[in-house]
Amino acid sequence: MSLEEPEPDLPTTEESAVGVTDDGLDYDELADLLGDRLLDREEHVNAEGFVIRPDQVQDVLFDLRDEAGFDHCSCVTAQEYDDRYESIYHLKKYDDPTQELSVVVPSPKDDPHNESANPVYRTADWHEREAYDLVGIEYDDHPDLRRILLPETWQGHPLSQDFDQTEPQVVTLREHANPLQEDHKAENDADTMFVNIGPHHPATHGVLHLKTVLDGEQVADVESDIGYLHRCEEQMCQQSTYRHQIMPYPDRWDYISAGILNEWAYARAAEDLADIEVPEYAQVLRTMSAELCRIAAHLLALGTFALDVYGDFTAIFMYAVQDRERVQNILEDLTGQRLMFNYLRLGGVAWDLPEPREEFFEKTRDLLDDMPERLTEYHNLVTSNEIFQLRCVDTGILPPEEAKSFGATGPVARGSGIDYDLRRDDSYGYYDELDWDVVTEDGCDNYARVLVRMREVEQSARIIEQCVDLLEDWPEEEREIQSNVPRTLRPDPDTEVYKAVEAAKGELGIYMRSDGTDKPARFKIRSPCFSNLQTLPTMSEGEYIPDMIASLGSLDIVLGEVDR
Amino acid sequence: MSVVLQTPLPSTIADLLGLDPNSTVGLFVSAFIAAGFIATVMLTMTAVLGIWGKRKITAAFTDRIAVNRHGPYGLLIIPADAVRLLSKELIVPESVDRPAYDLAPLIIASSALLGFAVIPFGNGIHVADPETGLAYVFATASIASLGLLMAGYASNNKYSFMGGLRAVAQNLAYEIPLVITGASVVLFTGSLQMSEIVATQQETLVALGPVAIPQWFAFVNPFAFVLFMAANLAEVGRNPFDIPEAPTEIVAGYQTEYSSVYFVLIYLGEFIHIFLGGAIIATIFLGGPAGPVLPGIVWFFIKMISVYLFTQWARSAVPRVRVDQLIQIGWKGMLVLSFANLVLTAIIVGVIAA
Repeated sequence: MSLEEPEPDLPTTEESAVGVTDDGLDYDELADLLGDRLLDREEHVNAEGFVIRPDQVQDVLFDLRDEAGFDHCSCVTAQEYDDRYESIYHLKKYDDPTQELSVVVPSPKDDPHNESANPVYRTADWHEREAYDLVGIEYDDHPDLRRILLPETWQGHPLSQDFDQTEPQVVTLREHANPLQEDHKAENDADTMFVNIGPHHPATHGVLHLKTVLDGEQVADVESDIGYLHRCEEQMCQQSTYRHQIMPYPDRWDYISAGILNEWAYARAAEDLADIEVPEYAQVLRTMSAELCRIAAHLLALGTFALDVYGDFTAIFMYAVQDRERVQNILEDLTGQRLMFNYLRLGGVAWDLPEPREEFFEKTRDLLDDMPERLTEYHNLVTSNEIFQLRCVDTGILPPEEAKSFGATGPVARGSGIDYDLRRDDSYGYYDELDWDVVTEDGCDNYARVLVRMREVEQSARIIEQCVDLLEDWPEEEREIQSNVPRTLRPDPDTEVYKAVEAAKGELGIYMRSDGTDKPARFKIRSPCFSNLQTLPTMSEGEYIPDMIASLGSLDIVLGEVDR
Repeated sequence: MSVVLQTPLPSTIADLLGLDPNSTVGLFVSAFIAAGFIATVMLTMTAVLGIWGKRKITAAFTDRIAVNRHGPYGLLIIPADAVRLLSKELIVPESVDRPAYDLAPLIIASSALLGFAVIPFGNGIHVADPETGLAYVFATASIASLGLLMAGYASNNKYSFMGGLRAVAQNLAYEIPLVITGASVVLFTGSLQMSEIVATQQETLVALGPVAIPQWFAFVNPFAFVLFMAANLAEVGRNPFDIPEAPTEIVAGYQTEYSSVYFVLIYLGEFIHIFLGGAIIATIFLGGPAGPVLPGIVWFFIKMISVYLFTQWARSAVPRVRVDQLIQIGWKGMLVLSFANLVLTAIIVGVIAA
């Protein structure tokens, strides 16, 4: 194993951080840090939950961030119980994401008010807006507490208990304002121009609406308006059974070929929740198929980024799609599907490799053998092109501190020099048995993000190669693809879990709470694109429009995952 | 030097029809037929290359097949597409500034066609040969900028507005280097007359045994040729200088609000502009219709279409520069280089002459 140990060279936070011991986190020490601000301690499957008062959120989170080193607010989950509302801040560390802590903030049923975590973690901005929108918790001194996924005119909060789904949403014509109406609003500043980029625009990669204020050709202000693709994915999962009905949904979050990576997020969380073992053979299959998905997703990201920078009708997009097509063919052989794979099962995978196995191995090896040559071609065509460098180097700067504050993960974080990859740092599947490297670039710019993706394709190819070797030599009698899982899963009531995997775009996390039935009481998706998209204003304000478009492309968002 | 001037096309037509080329009526009729002939040839070429050829070329660059289901080689896509484009609903947004909005497509399409009046296609296909030919062709080509600005400004759309501004900024920045580089050719020939420019290039530069390399200005002054090709890319708005349209940034620039016939006219205008650029390059750098074996007009079209292929190649493989970088390249790079080229040429020509 040639994996580097996670972050040994940052002793300042490691050594002085409260609660860090040699074998993980000492929750008692953290409890001492909070003192009497700590009301209660809960046991979640992945970490302990510290219950605190709703008016001490900032105070506690500042201490946890600065004293205990929790610099990554991975997710904010909000939910309603029979007697209270609850917001959970899932904290992690970029240095070591296995050190987790859930900060649980209950608030009264009749008037749910919390202090906002926004001053501590800027990513809390959107997460809290979503919690307000869907569950109905209000966050005091939040800078901009508006609905984020649903229209402004929406009545009620769909994930709250008293929401009546049968009640029609009556919206009068006058109320149902045209989202583009502001197009003609008078600006106070005569030198700036307000432009709606999207919801239908060639460069928004889906239905994203950017409210942009331009000063000449430069971006003075940009605000993302999301939710056009909101499909109530969380609620659909809450109405489905753990065992079979939820698994098809993750394919529909990040639908750009990253299906199996998404499925793994659910599989990992549910397997931790219900304590299910996965056979080693199935882990290898999962690892291989997930990395195939990552290659397909990264190739498409490269192709669409080229569209944004080069213009339409360029060769790169077609080349990238052709290579992706080969990956898709292999995935089709394996799963029977090209887009919505639905290949993973709790406790394993759906089926073994297709027969004849030799043919599958040969096809996969052919792809891997051609990969270095193809990547060289992309480097010749794209990254070594001088005009491309002129466009991408030193544009769309995302400093690492900002990236951390916004909870950026995946290639976006690694392009800013943050050495954070859950496959290594919070290992799962078969990754820690294999020989591969985490790719980082220090450029912090559009160029670095593209480069990270291209180099990750190389690493994924390495992983797949090793998996293929392993699978080829696997003894026939030990090819166990699924462990024994009960037909109906009913995890113990009030078990809570938050688990994440490294999906194509970054950390894809799932929070689940069971209530003793065969369906989750709360299902929350932490989408990497959702957090990554928040960094767009930081990258693009003061830059030219083309650079903003390039930055948006380099974030590689999928609106299906942002809006869920 | 003595130049054998070919009979202009209107006179030939007048002869064929038995009209008196010196009478007003005879001149008008024969000139009208000649102009109509050239315009028909150019529009046909646009239809073939703009609708069918473009797809096939782009497809070849991007490993695709493109149209192949409509007739042989998909050629029947041309009438199909023409009908499709023309039968679409013409949507005129409510608060556009008419008649500027309506005039813009006409100006864009017609200005480029005007330029072909002085282009010598070879084999006597040459409508007019005024002494100021080169100046005239540059002048008509740049009228298009006015059309682009009108389209952008009158559309009452912010993307169109930005596209119009970008188009004007770009054309200003690149037309000056274009004209100045063209002027360096004039220094050699000592004339703006197109036939004279073509004739000068027929002389031998070097003789390699039996093969005589003609004195094409692309060989005499390759530096000016490269400069002109680059400035021409900007002039016709193709990658890396396609920022007035920049589909991923400002949707479609000045043509965002145009549909149906108006869109066809703008589209047509762009292609004719590319061909005009190719025709200018063929005439002043590549020896016009000269070439071995094949008739002159065939050579001329080969040269013109080669320049068109070059723009398509750039479009498929070269990234677009940013608007500020474009302006910098134009004013700080191209302008300086083109002046340097002019001065250098002047010195060399002076030394040779002395």
